[in-house]
Amino acid sequence: MSAARRLLALASLPLFLIALGCGRGGRGQVNVYIWTNYLPDEVVADFERRTGLDAQIDTYASNEALLEKLQSGVADYDVVVPSDYMLKILGPQGLLHPLDAARLPHRSSLDPRFLNQRFDPGNRWSLPYLWGTTGIGYDRRKAGEVTSWGALFDPRHAGRILMLDDEREAFGAALRLDGRSINERDPRALERAAARLKAQKRLVRAYNSSDFANLLATGDVDLAQGYDGELAKVVAKDRGRLAYVVPREGGTLWIDNLAIPKNARHLAAAHAFIDYVLEPQVAARIVAGVRYASANRDALPLIPADVRADPAIYPPPAVLDRCELIEDLGATTTLVDRLWMEVKAQ
Amino acid sequence: MSGRARRRPRSGAARLLLAAHSALLYLFLYAPIAVLAVFSFNASRQTAAWEGATLDWYRRLSADGLLGRALGNSLLVAAIATAAATALGTAAALGMARGGGRARRLTWGLLLLPVVLPEVVLGAALLSFFGAIGLRLSLSTVAIAHVVFSVSYAAVVVAARLAGLDPALEEAAADLGAGPWEAFRRVTLPLALPGILAAALLVFTLSIDDYVITSFVAGVGSTTLPLHVYSMLKVGVTPEVNAVSTLLLAGTVTLIAAAQVLLRPGSAKGSP
Repeated sequence: MSAARRLLALASLPLFLIALGCGRGGRGQVNVYIWTNYLPDEVVADFERRTGLDAQIDTYASNEALLEKLQSGVADYDVVVPSDYMLKILGPQGLLHPLDAARLPHRSSLDPRFLNQRFDPGNRWSLPYLWGTTGIGYDRRKAGEVTSWGALFDPRHAGRILMLDDEREAFGAALRLDGRSINERDPRALERAAARLKAQKRLVRAYNSSDFANLLATGDVDLAQGYDGELAKVVAKDRGRLAYVVPREGGTLWIDNLAIPKNARHLAAAHAFIDYVLEPQVAARIVAGVRYASANRDALPLIPADVRADPAIYPPPAVLDRCELIEDLGATTTLVDRLWMEVKAQ
Repeated sequence: MSGRARRRPRSGAARLLLAAHSALLYLFLYAPIAVLAVFSFNASRQTAAWEGATLDWYRRLSADGLLGRALGNSLLVAAIATAAATALGTAAALGMARGGGRARRLTWGLLLLPVVLPEVVLGAALLSFFGAIGLRLSLSTVAIAHVVFSVSYAAVVVAARLAGLDPALEEAAADLGAGPWEAFRRVTLPLALPGILAAALLVFTLSIDDYVITSFVAGVGSTTLPLHVYSMLKVGVTPEVNAVSTLLLAGTVTLIAAAQVLLRPGSAKGSP
């Protein structure tokens, strides 16, 4: 009967497919593990054309997912893109391969402002790729022009305010308003910030870290603390009504960085890929495609004018000077955790 | 069966209540899915406000290389898992139906363990196992993991079907001169086929939407559709995700409908 033969054929399929999977990759290869929407398809295609290498792109959703993969020791990635704070974990844990500066001639195109950061002094493990800020997205007609974090604490906007559901970002806004650093460790300054946040709570419509841009776009809130990339997208759709600002007190800065995992098998290809995306023309195409700011200084004149002039992507330098990276607070973390819990539980 | 059961006549009010209750229940079950499908045609990039109809997201979908590859990976893994897990599960169920004693209960219990094991535990266990034997993470490790967790489901489904079969049929085949292989091929297998196909469908469905275990064991070139959709969350959900989901839904419904049609004559013949 044909049932048996059909079943046999079906059962032999996996062996065939697995054999097929193993036979891949005759020419050189580079395996890139990167955030979603961080590398336009056409840039990948151009890299493959130019170098003759196969670029295999996989995506992840969080720094923690990346950490887990690298810790397993059997992930086969050659290039990864950890954020600032994650580099401070990956480097000391011995999960990264030092970069070979001689193989990265285009690193000279990078803006020195983003080099030699505290999370990787001397750029031993990484080079900056894209960066962004935390600020306020707002409805011009309802909230007027916003320039300060104070707007999020203004009773006039009661019930129309969204805060990120993130203790460091919430405290960051309150601390900045007091003229303090986002990484403040003084317990009294933190208590004051917590008091501000508690008083603010009755004005807040929602604490939300994932859907803030949508809620602003649909008019559920008039002011939303949020990350620039997502806010930039809704603002670009409705410029007459919506705007994004990094408040004049300064906000949070984040930097995502190119790095090579310790057990990478294609070191030459990994360096070739990193140097390729550091080329000013390529970096400019990436910015135009993904709408995040690049750490590449030489790429600036090549970026489309509307993107370069968009303060939601490239905030004015004076404001950027007042932005800070979030750093590990060490022992103070417990205090901030407790204060944030008090705010949320109130 | 139900034809013989006596039906009590229902009053008009009771029937109305039942109808309303069913309508609400189905609304509860299917309204979110309907909204998902409808918003895949939304002209706005927001997922909550309707701004007119468009096919843009489907066009964008066909142009999105990564998403296409993720869909391809998901289908490939699901095909491998379906074939391998159904074959292994069927073999296990057949063995269990024949064997007896304490060894049988023990092996059956061990086989069913992955059903009750939390997915995170299984995922972490597989990851450390692959790490221990030095197997690099790839599409193969994802396929292996999917076979591991779905084999038990396949075995349970096929075993349920076999339990309803009359062992006398196989004996009769033997009496009439069929060898063990022939009896299996011409009697047992056709009778078990509806169960085997049901197991295959279940495994396919489990494999295509698994996130937790896959996220642990995925490596180079093995981003599956659920992994990719989840990683899209960082940049916000767009109707593109709705469009993929709608296509996937349409595919699944077609598959199930096809299976129903295929199974009808078979199950009629096989039912005791």
